[in-house]
Amino acid sequence: MDDGSSGRRPPFDPELRAGLAVVGGVFPPTITPDLIGFMRRSYAGPPLEMLLAGRAILTEDRVFPGAGGHELLATVFRPESATGLRPGVLFVHSGGLMFGDRFSGLDRMLEFVEDLGVVLISIEYRLAPEYPDPYPRDDVYAALEWVASRADDLGVRLDRLLIAGASAGGGLAAGAALAARDRGGPRLRGQLLDYPMLDDRGTTRSTHQFDGIGVWDRISNETGWSALLGDARGGPDVSPYAAPARATDLRDLPPAFIDVGSAEIFRDEAVAFADGLWNAGGHAELHVWPGGFHAFDIFAPHTALSRGMIQTRRAWMARLLAD
Amino acid sequence: MQELLARLKTLDPNASLALRVIACFDELVRGGVNTQALLGAAASLSGCVAGYARESGRPMRVSPAGETLEPAPPPTGAHEVDGLQVWLEREGPEQVNDAMILERLALALAIRSGRATTDPLRRLGALLDPEGTGEQRRAAAAKLGLGPRSRYRVASLPLFATWAQHPAMLEDVVPTRFGPMHVVVLPAETTALEARPCGIGAAMRAEDLHRSFATAMVSLRLCAPPEVPVVVADDYGGLVELLAQCSLEQPLLDVEELEDVMRHPWATVTLDALLRSSSVREAGRLANVHHSTMQTRLESIRDALPFDPLDGIGRTRIGLAFLAWRLRHSSVLDLPPPDRR
Repeated sequence: MDDGSSGRRPPFDPELRAGLAVVGGVFPPTITPDLIGFMRRSYAGPPLEMLLAGRAILTEDRVFPGAGGHELLATVFRPESATGLRPGVLFVHSGGLMFGDRFSGLDRMLEFVEDLGVVLISIEYRLAPEYPDPYPRDDVYAALEWVASRADDLGVRLDRLLIAGASAGGGLAAGAALAARDRGGPRLRGQLLDYPMLDDRGTTRSTHQFDGIGVWDRISNETGWSALLGDARGGPDVSPYAAPARATDLRDLPPAFIDVGSAEIFRDEAVAFADGLWNAGGHAELHVWPGGFHAFDIFAPHTALSRGMIQTRRAWMARLLAD
Repeated sequence: MQELLARLKTLDPNASLALRVIACFDELVRGGVNTQALLGAAASLSGCVAGYARESGRPMRVSPAGETLEPAPPPTGAHEVDGLQVWLEREGPEQVNDAMILERLALALAIRSGRATTDPLRRLGALLDPEGTGEQRRAAAAKLGLGPRSRYRVASLPLFATWAQHPAMLEDVVPTRFGPMHVVVLPAETTALEARPCGIGAAMRAEDLHRSFATAMVSLRLCAPPEVPVVVADDYGGLVELLAQCSLEQPLLDVEELEDVMRHPWATVTLDALLRSSSVREAGRLANVHHSTMQTRLESIRDALPFDPLDGIGRTRIGLAFLAWRLRHSSVLDLPPPDRR
């Protein structure tokens, strides 16, 4: 079988290739454990003032009880003009389970606050390897329960609560949706999974197609999953709430939106997850963007491919959440 | 991208951002993208609206987010080339890369609109093009002020190479099948650059510098920082030029057999030492191990191979296979993590 090591792979979109020539170095394709410190510096979210510049958005920091009651921070973003209860989006940030913070990759989400009038809650879950599984997923689930239990106080309509996550955050969001189903937790209106990190096993073809190029390659993925799972990575004892590709039952889940690039390692697991949802009688919308590397809409938002991705995602969010 | 560029500059103060701007537009031109995408890249790189106008037709303006804006006529002082105007709507003082962005944008638009087919500013490309004729290369060399009887070398570096010192020199970004490369022309006497990783090609007459470029690319791919930050083609002579002409993706006898040997962590150092010496004792000194250790390693190499690597033609076979293996497994052009450069 072709395991991807034959060297054949979809080429990057020309605009994205040009983008890589410019920003190469900000996010090395191959992240090994010794680079976690560097990545925490270079992938730190922008200052809040920069994120909010020119936007009619109010913010408020809240403390919520994470796993084991540990106090964690969330920032709540609300449209200035909002009155009454609004649709709510719980956002789980990207960063390979090891870096990033609640302000990383938030530009796109803030557009939903401005355009759709949602209340966005972005959470600071604890990161591996210092806090391995189950801390990150338990923190995310605790945040979901907290939002649901304080919905009125947060100004969120419980019948329009959605979970969203990008990359590692996409995997954690999908895991929280599974857990909410199994535990009779909050009912979610949808799950927005941007290029989600779903599978610790690293056995798909796409995982092996992009060694040393683009953003987030096979080695980086092994680094991230090992940080979370240690020696359990790839073995029989990994929870589907940590690695949702492991879930054998995908019935009765909230409608999913999944987007991914054709030129990234998560392509196959994203497609397989959507396929699993359909076969379980679920509702899923899948977009595979040709020539897209991982998280290309964050690194090169001005390109035609990114604008297409952003508009398509926004249209789905509007269908689910807009007034 | 402007925000990421600024962040890159903070992380790596020596990064050549101008070269990255050139490489960016090279890739866009090679990819055949449209006017909107070219303006979007300029706007994203500069962080302000980029505009374009010609004698006829509507002007076009694109925001840093890639959105097409209402057309507006060019402002005074727009950059003009051959009846084509481009501008950046920057409020406040011009920034360091603005002129470079406008120059590359204008050129890319001229090529996209069919007004230009080649890049008049990119003579290094013509000089190093193996598809060109000798006459074209001689003409390119003359325009660059390279003497027909002098000898030069080409050095190749990835765009992310780090420079301890970067003096003014004849340099450019040249597209290759490995992506855009930073290419420098040096006098023949110069066999070192304070940059890494770096492949320095063989010394040649100006009209043969496309061959020097090919040896520079092989030399670069033989680099393996931090142990081997720079390779000079002279170290391997005709071997690198031979390798430049080979397609190493195809299966190769001896290289396949070498895979087992190369799994040992000591393999690279040991083989290099054995190939550069005439006795196991001397190889041990080069590799900084006791000669009995070297002997043990040699035996395990002999066990893994169907021929004796130190006997007769076996030395040539192992030498060539070792270089071919290194090229096949080269990772020097993969973007390295910043603190390992």
